[in-house]
This record gives sequence, structure tokens and C-alpha cells, in this order.
Amino acid sequence: MALLEIAGLSKSFGGLTAVSDLSFHIQPGELLSIIGPNGAGKTTLFNLLTGFYRPTSGTITFNGMNLTGSKPYQVTRSGISRTFQMTSIFRQSTVLENVIIGQALHARARVWGSVLRTSATCLEEQTIREKAREILSFVGLAGKEDKVASELTEEAQKRLSISLALANGPKLLLLDEPTGGVNLEEISGLIDLVGKIRKTGITICLIEHKMKMVMSISDRIVVLNYGKKIAEGTPKEVAADQEVIKAYLGTRYVT
Amino acid sequence: MAALRPLHSPKAIAWLLVLILAIALPPVVGGYLTSMLILIAIWTIMSFSMNLIYGYTGQLSLGHAAFLGIGAYAFGLLTVKVHVGFWPAFACAIAITGLIAFLVGIPALKLRGPYFILVTLGFAVIVGVIVLAWIDLTGGANGLAGVPRPVPIPLPWGAQLRFDSLLSMYYFVLFFLVLTVGFCQRLVHSLIGKTLLAISYNETLTESLGINTMSKKLLSFTLSATLAGIAGVLYASYNIVISPEVTHFARGMDVVAYLIVGGAGTMAGPIIGTLVLMAVPEVLQIMPYLKTLINGIILMLFILFLPNGIIGWFNTIPAKLLKSRVAIDGSA
Repeated sequence: MALLEIAGLSKSFGGLTAVSDLSFHIQPGELLSIIGPNGAGKTTLFNLLTGFYRPTSGTITFNGMNLTGSKPYQVTRSGISRTFQMTSIFRQSTVLENVIIGQALHARARVWGSVLRTSATCLEEQTIREKAREILSFVGLAGKEDKVASELTEEAQKRLSISLALANGPKLLLLDEPTGGVNLEEISGLIDLVGKIRKTGITICLIEHKMKMVMSISDRIVVLNYGKKIAEGTPKEVAADQEVIKAYLGTRYVT
Repeated sequence: MAALRPLHSPKAIAWLLVLILAIALPPVVGGYLTSMLILIAIWTIMSFSMNLIYGYTGQLSLGHAAFLGIGAYAFGLLTVKVHVGFWPAFACAIAITGLIAFLVGIPALKLRGPYFILVTLGFAVIVGVIVLAWIDLTGGANGLAGVPRPVPIPLPWGAQLRFDSLLSMYYFVLFFLVLTVGFCQRLVHSLIGKTLLAISYNETLTESLGINTMSKKLLSFTLSATLAGIAGVLYASYNIVISPEVTHFARGMDVVAYLIVGGAGTMAGPIIGTLVLMAVPEVLQIMPYLKTLINGIILMLFILFLPNGIIGWFNTIPAKLLKSRVAIDGSA
């Protein structure tokens, strides 16, 4: 059974159809990339999957549950995490506190437990703190725990935003341009991190523009253009697809 | 563990000194200043209430005078008209305040930014009008008289803790202020507090991390209003007469000024801000009608030049010193 199943998904904003009758699925353990020219509807698709937008029509089924119309926090609780295209972190908080907040959805402490500092609350906070350190060392931010997030380099901020998404223990991770705005030399490190996350068994759906990266790490690729799926398949199949070449390079290059 | 910070840290010593001062000063400064300090302590509780919802959750409420008013009138009506005992009336009054905040918060907190602020302001105006117009219930502009002082608390060895003197009333109010500070300190440093702060930084990101931001905002709003309700009960019991003026929305804006001048989102800010803005006009013998004007000007100056308030500015000093030292080392 597919982990994520999207059927007939559409979203229009007034007269503009950003995503149109889109259907595809993601298998457990797979790395699926979504590519397409600017404005193809990739980020809109992520916003639909995570509940930030309500689909105009169509259904989203994740792990056997119908997620269509769920709120963002409910989607995250069901096991889908995401990063944002514009690196989203809590800039004023420390690196460690960022990842602590990332785990807060699982916390059971209530107001009185927190104010009276019951042993259960202290134990829980201790566990979360340790888990946060583990996650930070996994993404390569060990030793930077006490830095204020805004002082990190762009690349380290990307890593932090990924660790926020990892903190709540997702089954499916949606990465929106994880290497966007990062120096060329630093990209390979981030690609390695994506591979490392994959090895832990987390399914990944990736939006990327860097073709070399997409072709080398994806199992399958879905190509969007003007909100429609124009191709789907292995990197090799997609690279040879006439529709894809037309969308990216123009009709002149179609053989 | 962060919870077991050593007691000799500079911050802990500063807090201890402030507490000792708060306990030791009133007996020596005389009645006038003590009565002033009682009011300052009550409004400091209000500033902490504002700090929870605005400083730590990022939702600016201009309607907090209404919650103080609801607490005060609920307590006054229960004791004066229904003849409920002091402590049951106290508990009921703050529960009623919390419940009303919960019900108002459900629709209001769905709105963001200026829309939320406007709804809270509208709520405060409505409560103010009801208090003035429902004369049969509240006494209207004449206020509600005959509110009781705290009942004596029997002590195990036969004596009684009585609250009929000004000084004992001060300690009664101070006790609730200390409870409020302790409650807020523990709460904002807990995971719940961190989550509230996360909402104030970036609500969209917080929600995408699986946190039901609406329910957390509602929790913060309800707790904040409950603290305002406590301030209302203390005000009513201290003053014996409830004047409808306390529910006026402008008093809620004064609290916003106290908090911003002191430093929103800090633990010392509410104390410093309320103390400075309430004590300075008193010391300078400024006419009451000028106070609001001066508060407004001071608030504007702070928003322009020290948006993080006195404490926020104070907290940047170590970093600045460090930077200048680095600069000196660098040039040497």
C-alpha cells in the first residue's frame, strides 16, 4: 500500500488553477522528487498536503487516513513534517530550544504540572532535551546548541529547519528546496544529510531545482507544469520525456 | 537541570533583594506610600497578566481592564448582594473571569494581529458600558460600595491573621503578587511557556510543528484573564468601593504602557514598568488628567527608541560590553 495517495487534487485561487487534477502516490521508503518550472504549483502542492490550503477538490490519503481538509497541526501529528522554501526557524531562540519546541507536540505536561514542576514534568523535559541534542548531532549541528538561531550561517539554518521537521518523528518528510540559497560548496553536505535521513527509514518528498541533485538521489520524479502532472517516472525516463524537455527548454529542443 | 539553577546566581540575588525590600519597606515609609504600594502591587499583577498574553504569546489585548472589572464586580456582587463568604466569592470571581475570557477567546483568537486587538478593545468598551448602564446591578456611576476586606485567617495556635490595617492589606496583596510572579516564572520557563513564545515568534511555523496554536493561545488568554480577575478582586477588597472607572478601556491601555516601558516578555519588566509609570507621576505630583497624556508620550518614545523596554535594554548591556572588549582586543 502506498504511504501517500493523492487522487484528483485541484486547487484554484479565484480564476487561477494552481494545481489541477493531480494524482500520484509515494511508496514507503521512497525518495520522490517534484520538479517543474517556477509557478508550476510545487509549493502549492506542499501547502495542500500539509493543510495550509484546503483543496478545491480531490483527496489526500496518508497511511490509510483521509487527511483532506485537516488542519496543519493535525497533519503533522499524523506523521507528515515539512520544511519551508523560506528557511523557517525560530530566529530569536537558541538552536537547542528550536528543536525542543519541535518536539512539544508530544509533551503531556499540563499547566499545573509545569508550574509545580512535578517529577513527571521534569523527567519529560529532560528526555526532550536529550532527544533534541541527539537530533542536532544527527544533522551536524552538535556544539552549536546554545547559539541563537539567527547567528547561524544560511547552511546551518537549513540544517536547523530540517531538524525541526525531524523533531516530531515523521514518517514522511516534505523538503521544499533544502539547498536553496546555499553556497555551491555546501550543497553536497546537505545532499548527504538527505541521504542520511533516508537511511533511517523516513520517506522523503523533495522539491528541488538543482537537476544534478534530483537526478542522482531520486527514486522517482513527478514533473509539474502549470499545475498539471506532465510526466512521472525514474530519473532516466523523465529526462528523456518530450513533454519535460518542452516545458523546460521550449518546443525547439523537442526531437 | 535548568530548574535547579544555583541560588547564588546574580539574578536570584536581585530577586531576593527586591522581595526583602518589598517586605521591609512599607512599615518604615508610612501610610501614604503604603497605600500607593498596594495599588502598584495590584497593577503589577495586571502587568504580569498582560505579559503572559502579549509578552510571551504575542497577542496584544487592549481589553484587560474589562477582565479586572469582571473580577472586581463578580466579587463585589457575590459578597454584597448574595452574601457569599470572602474566600468562596474570591474563587468564584476568578473562575467567572476565566470562563468569560475562554468564551470571548474562542472567536477572538481566530483573528490575527490588528483584528484581534480591535475585538479585545470592543469587548472592553462593551463591558464598560454595561457596568455604567446596568445601574440596578452595578450601581452605575456611583460604584458598588460595601465590599468586604479579607476575613481573618485563624492560625493554629489560636491567634488570627487580621487584615484591617493598611499594612496587613499590603502584605495580603503582596502575597498574591509573589504567587503571580512564581506562577509566571515557572510557566514561561516550562515547555508550555516555550510553546507560547514560539507562537509569538512565528505562529505558522509553530502550527506546522504539530502544535494546536489556537488551543495554546486560548490557554494563555484564559490564564492571563484569570490573573486580571485576581487583581480585580484585590482591588475591590482593598478599595471597599468598586468604581466603574477601573473597567474603562483606557486603564487596559495603561497596563500595556507599563509592560512595554518595563519590557514585554521579561520577568522583571512588569514590575519595573508599573513601578516607574505609577510612582513617578505620584512623586512629581502630576495632575491625574495629565497622567494618561504623559503615559502616552512615554509609551511612544519607548516604542520608537527602546521597543524592548527598560529590562530589554538592560539585558543588551553584557553583549555590548563583550563586543566593545572584542573590538579593543582586536585593535591591540
